[in-house]
Amino acid sequence: MAMRSQVYEWANLATSGNSTIRRAAGSQPVSLTSGREYDIFIGGFGNNITKPAETTATQFVVIEDISSSPQNGSAVQVRINTTDYFQNPDVTKQDGIPGLASPYPVGADSAGSPTGTNYVLSSFNLYPDVYVLPGQTWGVLYSCQTDVAGSENAGTTGVACFVKYTLYDGPDALIANKLLELGVTVNPNNVDWYKRTLIEQASAPMNGGEA
Amino acid sequence: MAMRSQIYEWDASRSGHGGQPIAASNTLNTARPYSIFIGGVGNNITKPAETTATQFVVIEDIGCSPTDLATATEDGLAADGVRAYIQVRINTTDYFLDPDNIGNDGIPGTASPYPRTIAFQPSFNLYPDVYVLPGQTWDALYTHYEGNTNNTNSTHQAFVKYTLYDGPDALIANKLLEMGISVNPGNVDWYKRTLISGASATV
Repeated sequence: MAMRSQVYEWANLATSGNSTIRRAAGSQPVSLTSGREYDIFIGGFGNNITKPAETTATQFVVIEDISSSPQNGSAVQVRINTTDYFQNPDVTKQDGIPGLASPYPVGADSAGSPTGTNYVLSSFNLYPDVYVLPGQTWGVLYSCQTDVAGSENAGTTGVACFVKYTLYDGPDALIANKLLELGVTVNPNNVDWYKRTLIEQASAPMNGGEA
Repeated sequence: MAMRSQIYEWDASRSGHGGQPIAASNTLNTARPYSIFIGGVGNNITKPAETTATQFVVIEDIGCSPTDLATATEDGLAADGVRAYIQVRINTTDYFLDPDNIGNDGIPGTASPYPRTIAFQPSFNLYPDVYVLPGQTWDALYTHYEGNTNNTNSTHQAFVKYTLYDGPDALIANKLLEMGISVNPGNVDWYKRTLISGASATV
């Protein structure tokens, strides 16, 4: 299936217990504790998937955007295998991109009030993109600086994260690896460019007559 | 007819071509995908969206009703919105997958809102575009998770922007695809210019 734009949205909403596989109607917000990291794929809170996000030997993932709710001091971190992508200047651990810098949705109120008018716009653009090479496991970790009150604590706070990435599969994943080796940015345009050069090289001997 | 920019807007409160607005007799159930073309709810068209042998469609943007997830009510319903998602299906294959390679509900309306407002701006850009090749059937499936089944107060809307390449331009679109070049009006025009230049050089 070549290359495809993909998205994943997580929210602290679940129907029973703390988590739900995929989504369900009638979900309620679950409480989250400040100062703790929650894996948005398999963390056991909110909507989850069945297994960790990982690339097969014939897949290549490029994470292009990541964001979270601006309220509650929310932040999101990307983890590749066991390495956190965002770190402090002194190479110590940090929470990642603040929701105030990369809000989801863009235009949400900074305090999370439905009637608030302090619309938050993006201060952050994930460039260069984050590459997940074939065979790697990746995760996105949500954390908050103040507790999120879920329905079990008579709270109603919903928080969410959003990840936008492109999945390169099959031959396009091989080309993505080749581009990486060449030091060329992996994006759909450059993958197409590499394909064109391959085609031109293949057709040159046919059109060239005698060598 | 060359290439034409096209849009389709779906609204569950409208009717048309067999589709009926949401009412007590025509519900829009939660957690169930509805085709915005032939789903039977809202404005519909007469038959599934499909390309003929001489057509090529490029879906460039897609969006649906957004939701403010920040404050949920105690009964679990989001305070503002219906938690809607929109998926693209080509023949029988869903385009958007979860990282565990299982089809998901598609793009959240919160990430690609329709309509866009100051409070709801897009986080998502459909790039690379989605190609519908000649002879394929395509659909856009709307799923929502909040709101009563026949809640006429809720807003359920979706929007698709695509370009239809027809006749010779569809052939060129196929050629560009083979060459690994993005199919867009600029590149189709570029290919035509190279053909014309090549022909006039020969003359």
